Amino acid sequence: MTHLLYLDPGSGSYFLQVIIAAAIGALFYFKTGWNWIKSFFVKQPPEDSKKNNNEQP
Amino acid sequence: MNSLKPHPASFRDPAGFVYKKDESIYRFVSNKYKEEFTSFITTGLYKELVAEGFIIPFEQIAENHFNDKEWFTTLKPNYIPFISYASEWCFDQLKDAALLTLKLSRRALYKGMILKDATHLNIQFLHGAPVHIDSLSFERYHEGESWAAYRQFCECFLNPLLLAVYHNMEVHKLLTAYKEGVPASITSGLLPFKTKLKPSILLHVHLQAKLGGKTNSHETKKRKLTSKDLLHIIQHLESCIQALNIKKTKSTWNNYYDETILSTNYLTAKREIVTSWLTTIHYSTAVDLGANKGEFSELLNKNASVIATDFDSNCIQSLYGSLKNNSITNILPLVIDITQPTPATGWNNEEQQSFVSRSQYDLGLALALIHHLAIGKNISLIQIAQLFSNICSKLIIEFIPKDDPKVADMLQNRKDIFEKYAIGEFENAFTTYFNVIKKEGIPHSNRTLYLMEKK
Repeated sequence: MTHLLYLDPGSGSYFLQVIIAAAIGALFYFKTGWNWIKSFFVKQPPEDSKKNNNEQP
Repeated sequence: MNSLKPHPASFRDPAGFVYKKDESIYRFVSNKYKEEFTSFITTGLYKELVAEGFIIPFEQIAENHFNDKEWFTTLKPNYIPFISYASEWCFDQLKDAALLTLKLSRRALYKGMILKDATHLNIQFLHGAPVHIDSLSFERYHEGESWAAYRQFCECFLNPLLLAVYHNMEVHKLLTAYKEGVPASITSGLLPFKTKLKPSILLHVHLQAKLGGKTNSHETKKRKLTSKDLLHIIQHLESCIQALNIKKTKSTWNNYYDETILSTNYLTAKREIVTSWLTTIHYSTAVDLGANKGEFSELLNKNASVIATDFDSNCIQSLYGSLKNNSITNILPLVIDITQPTPATGWNNEEQQSFVSRSQYDLGLALALIHHLAIGKNISLIQIAQLFSNICSKLIIEFIPKDDPKVADMLQNRKDIFEKYAIGEFENAFTTYFNVIKKEGIPHSNRTLYLMEKK
């Protein structure tokens, strides 16, 4: 595996990204749960959240 | 003997370098980057990003100009008429550049690749929008790797944007001081406490400042990063940056035409004279010095490549927004203080060129500017004439005499040491370098317009 590391290795800070990824995962989990609870009380808006989906592979 | 040399700013990346040959720009691609480059093409990523105008297209050329045995291929990217730097951009320009960088990282991950660097130096503005110019920035992503450019992205984009939002700091000044980006430790110290309650800022700035570049930990052995993790980080950064906006602030300059004593009749008359003169001259490049909100830049030929400069970032921010809204793509607004233009910086003072050395225009506009330079900054008329003659071949310039209310305002609370600030002296200074082609007094004022051509 060739690595052209021309940024210093600390730039990627593996540990930090592990924590951030885990925290974002937890936030997402919390948000989904909260939205699920909210959906019982609030009327769903029309689906317009697919605007970025065309960017998916 | 081969006299070709790599561009002075292109020496850090072992994957290749940029060079100039016969007035064209080329990129040498090394064998070391062969597999990455092949993936960039075969995954369809290159084609997709070019189609959307996100990256600069290139032509692949089978010529080894350096006769180097490390040569893999040569690229000839499309021409960019003017290179600008982040230290000359307003808030929204940096924000758009940040969002483009994140979008590219995300698109790359969808195709099993990743952006290996995320600096604002890889972004230029072309036809009114940011475009990524470093074709060697994409490499294959291997599951388990982190995003090597994460910290660089935060320092170059996120941190200056946050400081602008929470501290009214101007991004161009921050990036003049911190050429390679503002470190998390400095940003974290300056941001108010309430930002610790925002998950995005807490994670990407405060936590980063706390952890620094810690790499060896048991945690990293327990949990391996995946492309999905990196996508989450990138999407999180995207939504964080998307939400950042600066308040429209009133400065002396961004309401100059709306609120000052300048009458509408004077402005209309000035616009008519400039418009009629513009039809009589040929130019394909132009600079508007002290463009304010670009009212006069917009009179210039739509086929000409125009740089609209002002030292007030609020004006450039408004201008950038209105150009975007009106889809005007030939004008590049930049925050430039002509009395302190961008210096040459980087290794050997050659990596980033000074504003003056990048400036060579067919036409210059200097409207309602000369009194700010001569009286506001004590620059002599001959010095001003000399600088203008260095950067433009033709010049439309407005002389504003001492009895003008604006100049009178400037002199109200200071001693008048400007004996030589008079129309005769102005003409003497400028005719040292220029021939006057046209001269006309602007109705409803005591100001005079000149069209000049360099001797």
